[in-house]
Amino acid sequence: MVFRLLVAAGLAAALTLAVPAPSRAQEITVFAAASLQNALEEIGAAYRQRTGHGAIFSFAASSALARQIEQGAPAAIFASADEQWMDYLQQRNLIVDATRKPLLGNSLVLVVPAGNTAQIELKPGFDFARVLGADGRWVTGDPSNVPVGRYAEEALKNLGTWDFAQTRLVRAENVRVALAFVERGEAAAGIVYSTDAALSQKVRVAGVFPATSHKPVTYPVALVARHDTPAAREFLAFLESDESKAIFRKFGFVVH
Amino acid sequence: MSESAAERLRIDAAKQLGAFEFACDLDLPLSGLTAIFGVSGAGKSTLINLVAGMHQPDRGRIAIGSTVFFDSSARVLLPVERRGLGYVFQDARLFPHLSVRGNLDYGRRRAGARSGGAPVAFDAVVDLLGLGALLERRPHTLSGGEKQRVAFGRALLAQPRLLLMDEPLASLDAARKAEILPYIERLRDEFAIPILYVSHSPDEVLRLATALVLVDAGRVVTAGPISDVLLDESARQFFSAAEPGALVFAVVASHDDRYQLSTLACDGFALRVPRVDLAPGTQVRLRIPAREVALALVRPGDVSITNRIEGSIESVGSRSAGHPAHALVTVRVSPSTVLVVTITRESVDRLGLVPGLRVWCLVKSVVLDASALVLARGRAARPVSQPLPANDARV
Amino acid sequence: MLTPVELDALRLSLQVAVVAVAASLPFAVAVAWLLARRDFAGKTLVDAIVHLPLVLPPVVIGFFLLILLGTKGPIGGWLYETFGLRLIFTRWGAAVAAAVMSFPLMVRSIRLALEAVDRGLEFAARTLGASRLDVFFSVTLPLMLPGVLTGSIVAFASSLGDFGATITFVGNVAGETQTLSLAIYSLAQTPDGEAAALRLVLISLVLALSALFVSEMLARRVRRMLGRA
Repeated sequence: MVFRLLVAAGLAAALTLAVPAPSRAQEITVFAAASLQNALEEIGAAYRQRTGHGAIFSFAASSALARQIEQGAPAAIFASADEQWMDYLQQRNLIVDATRKPLLGNSLVLVVPAGNTAQIELKPGFDFARVLGADGRWVTGDPSNVPVGRYAEEALKNLGTWDFAQTRLVRAENVRVALAFVERGEAAAGIVYSTDAALSQKVRVAGVFPATSHKPVTYPVALVARHDTPAAREFLAFLESDESKAIFRKFGFVVH
Repeated sequence: MSESAAERLRIDAAKQLGAFEFACDLDLPLSGLTAIFGVSGAGKSTLINLVAGMHQPDRGRIAIGSTVFFDSSARVLLPVERRGLGYVFQDARLFPHLSVRGNLDYGRRRAGARSGGAPVAFDAVVDLLGLGALLERRPHTLSGGEKQRVAFGRALLAQPRLLLMDEPLASLDAARKAEILPYIERLRDEFAIPILYVSHSPDEVLRLATALVLVDAGRVVTAGPISDVLLDESARQFFSAAEPGALVFAVVASHDDRYQLSTLACDGFALRVPRVDLAPGTQVRLRIPAREVALALVRPGDVSITNRIEGSIESVGSRSAGHPAHALVTVRVSPSTVLVVTITRESVDRLGLVPGLRVWCLVKSVVLDASALVLARGRAARPVSQPLPANDARV
Repeated sequence: MLTPVELDALRLSLQVAVVAVAASLPFAVAVAWLLARRDFAGKTLVDAIVHLPLVLPPVVIGFFLLILLGTKGPIGGWLYETFGLRLIFTRWGAAVAAAVMSFPLMVRSIRLALEAVDRGLEFAARTLGASRLDVFFSVTLPLMLPGVLTGSIVAFASSLGDFGATITFVGNVAGETQTLSLAIYSLAQTPDGEAAALRLVLISLVLALSALFVSEMLARRVRRMLGRA
């Protein structure tokens, strides 16, 4: 009896999948930096409401996404968290150069778990060790390739604590994973974007990195050369519309 | 070991094994080799395994002397390893990861001080069982017979108060069996450790046992010293499948140094046999196989056969004779002794053998050698009181 | 030859794998014994739980470990407060992740070996005066040895290669948890990191093959000793 129910359920599920989804051909795939997740999902919903078409998002570290596009992943649009990874694709002629635009800006912050009331001025020679405690670790995206990690390394180097900081570093795959470690309280501190910190109740901003300590955080966006379609251009245009800009601002991004 | 010093094995237990119901009521002094005999499936292994502790009875009590192994009403259960047993299995069960020496030492190292008797020494056992050359070998390099000898040694060296043997010769061929039987006899005679020996082979039992427990269909039919049990009518049927022959009880009477012969005094007659190294007065038993006996209507004169015993025919039949040409004749030679004779049916007719006829049984001395002769412990069959009749078998 | 980072990763991988196998071996033997020899209510459930790491995505396992054994987790928190022991971000945590992932493999191998041990031999040992525990250590375990060895080495090779559970639970910490797999992952993402990544891939391959080869040799030697070659 149970067996028959299971078979019936399985068949029903298979049938549902077989039914073609509405206008698949119009859906485009967007690869975007992890920090853009919440804003872009809301923008995607607005786009669907407005045009009836949807966008499929893949959020990860910009480094991972760029390499996937290089390997032929079917993304139509790429939004990176730093210029270098967009440069990486441009050098390989994988984007439509004319469509490359710096879309957003962001700032870098030091966060701690919510219960920690520490406040620290992030100036040259600041006492990172005190923030971390005797055996605490801090987390950010892997500085070898993830944008937020690169910014963090640059900032800490300029502020003179990178040698020490490096010994306590936990490398995360992307900024959201780093945020999660701090939210859980496992990491004593983390370096993430201010927009990420704003989303979470479980972390507190302990300090903001001065803009002079690192290259400006810029989010370039571009069309991927292989998937230059009208639908893709339409969505790209929507990303640059006032409606989208309002949403970005809501989440704390600086809009160029 | 005299009977009064022997511990008694008391079993009063029942166990249900599937459709097979086993119920045992036994009270037996443990000394010498007690054979547990019966056909396959009768319950022999069940009995010995209850004593060993492999299974527990559903209810009842098992005790040796004052040591209680199991008591369902008092909720006593003595674990296997504390029962002071040695067990020789049909398949040897030597530990493959240990050498022969390692196997022998296994029980020895866990023995501690066992009660009763001198400790069994390593060298004594190695000598007795001829294991010297095998000590550093691995079990898988040994022959079947060698494995069993090691198994005997291992069980002995565990300083047991009781040796259990479950058909230890069953998986060996005839040559290996013949090779090992003497070792078991030496075990029985040289170490004062009682043995419980499960077998379905009448020949083994007749040769080795000093006491006998007959098991059939999950019940103990009879139990006691072998001489008593064999005279019991209910026991005879279990030995009918064996090679026909008579078991004769005798006492060593005298020795002839010149001709190296011994005279055995039986009940109502005497036998001369090749010299046995036993003191006069020793109780012995002999197997006289039916095929070794010839019959004559008159007492033969010039013939080489030494033993000529007079008797009267009890029965003539061909049912369990073996070959279609054979006939089985039983001859009563004394109030307690019946000899069994296998001859051709042609001879039966030629001589006109019928029940009641007086005949002479002819048994060559040469045949009654050490293999036919075994020692008996326990009580003798009948006291030898009557004078020996004229049968030409006395000096 | 190898850069310090690569040597670190290699050394760490070996250390983590050895600790993982050594620490989980007694548990694997105990669990294998329980599943092979005992019947109890919930036995199927235990069997299923033991095999979960084989079926679940490694990241899920890593996540469970994070919740349970992180310093804010019920067990991890107790460990941290009582002993000052931290598993997350450390090689010990990496060993735990690797151990959990390779546990089912170890248990399967050991259980098979255990089931092949002749119970008759164990009873013979008891008649010779050995208690149940004594029988286990003096007879059963030696006879299980080929299976235990194979299981250990397969678990070792598997531990060397663990990724999902490790990175999710203990993160990617250079010199502490960055085993070969994690190092390869990082290098593969880094521009111009491919050559180094390939080097590490080759090392991993050599390690895994060597482990399997050694395991086969050892098992064969032991089987011959037991007369079963």
